Amino acid sequence: MKSTTRALTGAALLLSASSPVWAHDPIFGVGPHVLFKDGMEVSLGIDNESAGKEDETTLSAELTWGITGDWAAGIELPYRITDGEDGAGDVALFSKYRFWRRDSLGLQESAALFAKWIPDTASEALSKQADDLILGAAWGYEGRRQYRWASLRYRINGENDAGIDRGDRMLVDFVLGWRPDPRGYREPDTVWLLELNGEYGRQARLNGQDLADSGGSEWFLSPGIFWTQRNFAIKAGVQIPVADNLRGNQAASDYRAQIDFEWHL
Amino acid sequence: MKNQIKILFPAILLLLGSLIPTAQAEGTRYEMRVDGLACPFCAYGIEKKFKAIEGASNIDVDLDKGLVTVDLAKGKQFTEDEMKTLFSDSGFTFRGMKTQAHE
Repeated sequence: MKSTTRALTGAALLLSASSPVWAHDPIFGVGPHVLFKDGMEVSLGIDNESAGKEDETTLSAELTWGITGDWAAGIELPYRITDGEDGAGDVALFSKYRFWRRDSLGLQESAALFAKWIPDTASEALSKQADDLILGAAWGYEGRRQYRWASLRYRINGENDAGIDRGDRMLVDFVLGWRPDPRGYREPDTVWLLELNGEYGRQARLNGQDLADSGGSEWFLSPGIFWTQRNFAIKAGVQIPVADNLRGNQAASDYRAQIDFEWHL
Repeated sequence: MKNQIKILFPAILLLLGSLIPTAQAEGTRYEMRVDGLACPFCAYGIEKKFKAIEGASNIDVDLDKGLVTVDLAKGKQFTEDEMKTLFSDSGFTFRGMKTQAHE
């Protein structure tokens, strides 16, 4: 029974951690940004999510390396604080490849493919006993004043040690960004964001039977801010649930909040 | 004695002047047209790449005009191919460049 609980809470609460921080990308969704060749990105983040009686905070450190001007890869090291247990979360490895880019004066449009592998490396108490994989694609329009992004992610949740097929998840994001006051290169810069994030989870299964209290969909409206100065950035946002259709007896999300501090070195 | 000082003083000044390097070495100012410059945070890679080049200084990015200006010390030069690679590695598109002498 404990494994079942782990599988289901894992699916519900590990979603905001599924989006690596990427330069000038949305906070909860994903954009096509990568990193300059040989560049290093260091990111420290805190996210908190609450659903019914469950509350979880994750502290995470990310290190990303620019392999080329269009290809980057990195590692995420999370530490999870839950109501019952604290400990190391799953170490994740991720990579993104920008396969298309169209540049014009003050404007960049681009598209990228990305993957994130989340092997079962968490401390025993927080282990989901399965390896997961996220595959996705993102498109972005980035101008001096306006931003538009869209992304699609598919999370393949592995079967855990108890034989539970935890149910794959699909995430879709539409994001608008607005820079009210375009500034110079060395000046502080602020971009306001509004995201629409949708999540759909397939029902978990055990021995060929669907588990009643699993699967369904949730939609969030997520205001956020992106503040930068030269090679330092602060990104913060809140996901506010606006609709849900969860099967069985599942607590819908109350909110999710995230803040990241990011350096390009 | 007063006459000797009158002669020696300018001579010492001239000697010291020749020993002190000028604040800005002579060289070339490059003005490069670059597309895709939308956000200042994303342009940092350009600054970092130029800073790694010996003799490059006064790196500036004008996002609205799509211009990157760099001063390069005398005796050195950038080629178009080098700039295409540098800007591509930074995630942008190099369109062309103009040069002018600077002091």
